[in-house]
Amino acid sequence: MKEIVVIIGGGIAGLEAASQLLKLGYSPIIVEKSDRLGGHVARWNRLFPDMTPAQDLVSELIASSKDANIFLNTEISFINRLKDSYNIMLSNGISIISKYILYTTGFRLFEAQKKEEYGYGIYNQVITNADLEHWFNTNKDDRISGKDIKSIGFVHCVGSRDEKARNSQCSKVCCITAIKQAIELKEKYPEAEIYCFYMDLRLFGKKFEDFYTKAQRDHGIHFIRGRVSEVSENINGQVIVKAEDTLAGKPLKVTLDLLVLMSGMVCNPDSTKSASMLSLPIDSDGFLKSSDNVFHITSSPRKGIYYAGACTGPKTVPETLAEARSAVLEIHSTITGEAR
Amino acid sequence: MNIFGFRISPSSAINLDNVDKERFRELCRIEPDAVRCMACGSCSATCPAAGFSGMSVRKVLLYLQRGKEEEAFKLMSNCMLCGKCTMVCPRGINTRHLILSICRIYDKEEKK
Amino acid sequence: MREIYLSGYNNFVLPFMIGMIFVLSWCVIGAARIILQLTGEDRKKFFLSLINPKIMAKNVRDWFCDCLFHVKLWKRNMLLGYMHSSIAFGWFMLIVIGHIEVFLYTPQRVHQIWYPIFFRYFVAVTDSTMKGSFFFFLMDFFLLVILSGIILAIIKRARSRFFGMRRTTNPSITDLIGLYSLWCIFPLRLLAEGFTADISGGSFLTKSLNMVLHSFLSDQMNMLPTWWAYSIALGVFMCILPFSRYMHIPAEILLIPMRNAGIKVTHARKGYAKLQVYSCPSCGVCIDACPMSTVKANTKDTTVYLNRQIKRYNERRIEEISDKCLLCGKCTAVCPVGVQGDMMRIAQRSVRKYKLAPSYANIDENALLERCNKFVNTSNNTVTSDRNQRVMYFAGCMTSLTPSISKSTAAILQKAGIRFEIMDKDGGICCGRPMFMAGRIAQAKEMIEKNTAIIKASGADTLLLSCPICYKIFKEQYQLEGIEVIHHTEFFDRLIESGKITLNGSDTRYVYHDPCELGRGCGIYEQPRNVVRKAGELVEAEKHGKESICCGGSLGSLTLGFDKRKALTENALANLTIASPDTIVTACPLCRSTFNRYSDIPVKDIAEIVDEATRKKKR
Repeated sequence: MKEIVVIIGGGIAGLEAASQLLKLGYSPIIVEKSDRLGGHVARWNRLFPDMTPAQDLVSELIASSKDANIFLNTEISFINRLKDSYNIMLSNGISIISKYILYTTGFRLFEAQKKEEYGYGIYNQVITNADLEHWFNTNKDDRISGKDIKSIGFVHCVGSRDEKARNSQCSKVCCITAIKQAIELKEKYPEAEIYCFYMDLRLFGKKFEDFYTKAQRDHGIHFIRGRVSEVSENINGQVIVKAEDTLAGKPLKVTLDLLVLMSGMVCNPDSTKSASMLSLPIDSDGFLKSSDNVFHITSSPRKGIYYAGACTGPKTVPETLAEARSAVLEIHSTITGEAR
Repeated sequence: MNIFGFRISPSSAINLDNVDKERFRELCRIEPDAVRCMACGSCSATCPAAGFSGMSVRKVLLYLQRGKEEEAFKLMSNCMLCGKCTMVCPRGINTRHLILSICRIYDKEEKK
Repeated sequence: MREIYLSGYNNFVLPFMIGMIFVLSWCVIGAARIILQLTGEDRKKFFLSLINPKIMAKNVRDWFCDCLFHVKLWKRNMLLGYMHSSIAFGWFMLIVIGHIEVFLYTPQRVHQIWYPIFFRYFVAVTDSTMKGSFFFFLMDFFLLVILSGIILAIIKRARSRFFGMRRTTNPSITDLIGLYSLWCIFPLRLLAEGFTADISGGSFLTKSLNMVLHSFLSDQMNMLPTWWAYSIALGVFMCILPFSRYMHIPAEILLIPMRNAGIKVTHARKGYAKLQVYSCPSCGVCIDACPMSTVKANTKDTTVYLNRQIKRYNERRIEEISDKCLLCGKCTAVCPVGVQGDMMRIAQRSVRKYKLAPSYANIDENALLERCNKFVNTSNNTVTSDRNQRVMYFAGCMTSLTPSISKSTAAILQKAGIRFEIMDKDGGICCGRPMFMAGRIAQAKEMIEKNTAIIKASGADTLLLSCPICYKIFKEQYQLEGIEVIHHTEFFDRLIESGKITLNGSDTRYVYHDPCELGRGCGIYEQPRNVVRKAGELVEAEKHGKESICCGGSLGSLTLGFDKRKALTENALANLTIASPDTIVTACPLCRSTFNRYSDIPVKDIAEIVDEATRKKKR
C-alpha cells in the first residue's frame, strides 16, 4: 500500500511537493481551499529575476502533479491526533487518516485598506502590487487603464516592518517586486517618472542587485529613502504623497497619477486555525514555528507534521520550491526509516 | 587677526570622541525605545511643526546621539505635541513622551 | 423623662468628646485653609454662591441626595446604594432624633454636646413620657437600618460582586481602623442601650434585647464598660477619621457648594484639588470603570489610588499614575462624589518642571491665513457675501491620517451646497488639546491664540470640526465670539433636519461608539445617534453613552506604550460588538484608526456612512 501524505494548500509549494512525492511513489492528497491551484503565484504575471511568466511555472507544476488526489473548494474541518497518525476531516465530508501532513498553507497579502493613511479604497489612484499584476495579466483596471499617467509612486513596506500594522517582520520580496513592477510600468509608460519610497532596500537574492542597477541606469527610476506617511488628493484627481527624504533631511512632497502599495506577506489565519487544532506553536510574527530556523526549517515539533514555503515566513518562489523538495525528502527518509 | 579675509569656522564634523554620551544614556533609561528608531522619516513627513521649525523626531534623536544638541533643540522649538508622529511610527515608539522626556533632561543653558 | 444623674456627666463621655473636639477643629482649620488657598476670584465666586438662593437650594438638594441618600450609588446598584444610604441617612437620623429628644425632655442639657449621644444613659422613663415611645421606636428603627447596612458592608468586604463591583479598593491601615471602629459603634450602641432599655425606655429592638439577654444585661456591673466601649469606638472613629477615607464625610459637605459655585481645579494640590482628594471615599467605583483596569497591573493607577498617593505625598507614584491615564473621563462620570480624575491628573502634569519649552511666536499666522481666506476679499479685507453660511472646516491633525473622514465630510458639504473652506489642508497649527492634556498649559494657550487669530480673520461664521479632541478645546478654551463651533455629528444632524441632505437608510446594523472627548467631554450623545438611525439600524454597546469605554488610543496617556494598549482596545471592541453589529461607527479619527487595527468588522466614521447613504439615493 502506498503511503498517503496530506498536503494542505495547493499553491506552488503544495504542487511541487505533490509532484516529488509522486515520483517517489507515494500517494499525495492536496486539499485546496479555493477553486483553483497555484495560489498567489498563479495570479502573478512575471517572476523576477528572469521575468519568467508565472503561468508557465504553475502549468508545469500542475501537469507534474496531476496524478495526485486533489480536492478543490475544500477546507479542513478539524484534525485530531490518533496514536501514530492523524485523522483529517474535510469540509466535503471525507475523512483521511494519514501519518504525514505537509503544511503548505502559504501567506496572505496584507489588506492595504488597513493602512488608512495611504488611502487604498478611498482614492481612485491608489492600487496594490496584486492589483497591478492583475492588470498586467488582464489589462482590466479602471484605476489604470485609459489614464494619462505621467508620474507613478511605489510605497515599499506596506503592512510589513510595521508594528502598527501588527507585522514587525520584513516581507522580504517587496523590494525586488517593486523594482520589477517599476521596470514593467516604465516599459509601458516610458515618459512617466517613477519614484520608489523605501525604508531600506533589501536586495539579497541572486541577480537582485543587477535588477536594481538596471532600474537606476536603464530606466531612470528614482529611489527615495523615506517612508510615505500621508496621502491626500488634489482637485485634478491626482494624489499628493508626503514623505521625508531622509538622505536630504528634508520633507518631500510629490504629485502622482498612480500610487502602488507594496502589500507585504503576512501570516495566513487559516493555517493558524488548523495549527491550533494540533497545538502547533505559532511564532511571534504569526507564522508557523519550525523546529528551528537553521537546520530544521521544514519540520515541526510534532511527529509527522512538516512545513514548506511561506507558511513559516515570507519566502521567494525558488526558496519555496526548494523547501517543498526538502520537506518531501524528509518525509521520504522518515517513511523508509520506519519501514526498515 | 584675520589676514586671509576669511576665518576658519568651527568644524561641523561629528567627532564621536568629544560627544557627551551620559545624557542620552539618561534619556534611554527613561525611554528605552529611543534607540529603536530605524530612521524611516514617517514622523518628519507627517509633523505639522516640520513646516515651521523643521521638527523631526528622527533628526532630534540623531542629533542628540551625535552631540549636536543645540540643533536638536532648534528643531523641537515648534513641536505641538499633537501625537501624529506617535501614530505613524512603524516601531511604535512613544514619541510624545520621548519629547517630553527630552524637555525634562536636556537643558539649553548648561552646554557642554 | 427624669434625669438619673444630676451632673449629666460621666467619665465615659471623654473618648467621644476628645474625638469630637479633635475632628471638629481639624475640619474647621482644614476648611479655612482650603478656602484661603483658592484664588481670589474663586473665593469671591464661592462666597457669592452662598448667598445666591438658587445655588443654595441646589446645595441643599445635593447634600441630601449625595451625602445622605447616595442617589448615584442607588442608580449604579440597589444593594450598594442601600448599604451606603442606610448607614449615612440612618446615622444622620439618629443624631437628629437624639437632639429632638434632648430639646423636648431635657432642654437644660442642650449645651452639653455629648448628651444627645448618650441620652439613654442619663435619663429614665416616667409615666408621663409614654408619648416618647414614638421617638423610641424611631431610634430603634434607624438603628436597625444602620445595622442592616453594616451587615451588608461586612458581606461586601468578602463578596463585592453582589454589589455590582468586580474590584474594590485595597484599604490602607487607617482605613481599616476606621472601618472596624465604624462597624463596632452601632452594635455597641445597641448593647449599651439594651442595658438601659428597662429604665430609660426603648422600643422593639433595645427592649427585646434587654429581655432576651437578661442575664447579662441585668447585671449592672456590665453596663458601664459597655457604654465606655461605645464611647471609645466613637472616639477612635473620629480620631482616625482625618487620616482615613472617612474624611470624605466632612469634605463632601464643603465640596458640594464649591462644585455648585463653578470652581475648577487650577492648582495641583491646593484649594479645590485638595478638597477633591479628601472627598474621595475610596469606594473603588472608578476601578471597575477605568478602561485600563482590564489589565490587572493597571488597577493601582486608578483615581482612587491617585488620591491616596496625593494624601501621602508619594511624588513618584503620583507622576506615574497621572501620566499613565488616558483622560477618558469615565472615573469622573461615575464618581459618586464628583472627584474629577481627569482634571486632577492634568493639574498634576501641569506642575512638572521642563527645561526646554517650545514657543510658537515665530509662526506667521498671516501666511497660514492666506491658504484659507476664501471668505475674505483680500483687497479691502471685507467678508464676501454675507448672506450664506461660511463654514471653515478644521480637519485636525489626526484626520489627515484618516483621509476617508475629511474626504467624506467635504463630499457631504458639497452635496448640501454649503460654502466651505478647509483650514488645514496643507497643515496648520494644532488645536492645543494634546499639549493641554500633557499639562503644558502655557504652550497650549499660545497655540490657541494663533488659531484664534486665523479663524477670526478668515471671515467664517461656523467652525466645523470632525475631531472631538479639537472640538473639546475649541468649545472650552477658545473665545470665538460670533463664530459657531460645531462638531460634524451635530452638523450632519442639522443638515438632515433641515432637509439639505437626505439619507437613504439601509438594513445595516450599526453600533455607535461614543468617543470620550465628544460624549463625556462635550455631552454630545444624541445627535450622532439620530444620524446613524437615519442611515441604518442602530444597536447599542453593552456600555454606552456616559459609560462608553475608551478605544485605548487616547492621546491623554503619556506613558502607555503602543503594545500596552492592545488589551484595552480589544476590551472596548468586545463591549461594542455585544449586539453583533455589522459595522462600528465612531466620530473620532483616533478611535477609528485604533479600532480599525484590531477589529474584525469594518470601522467607519459617521461622515463615511452619511456620505454612503446620500450617494445611494442618487442611484
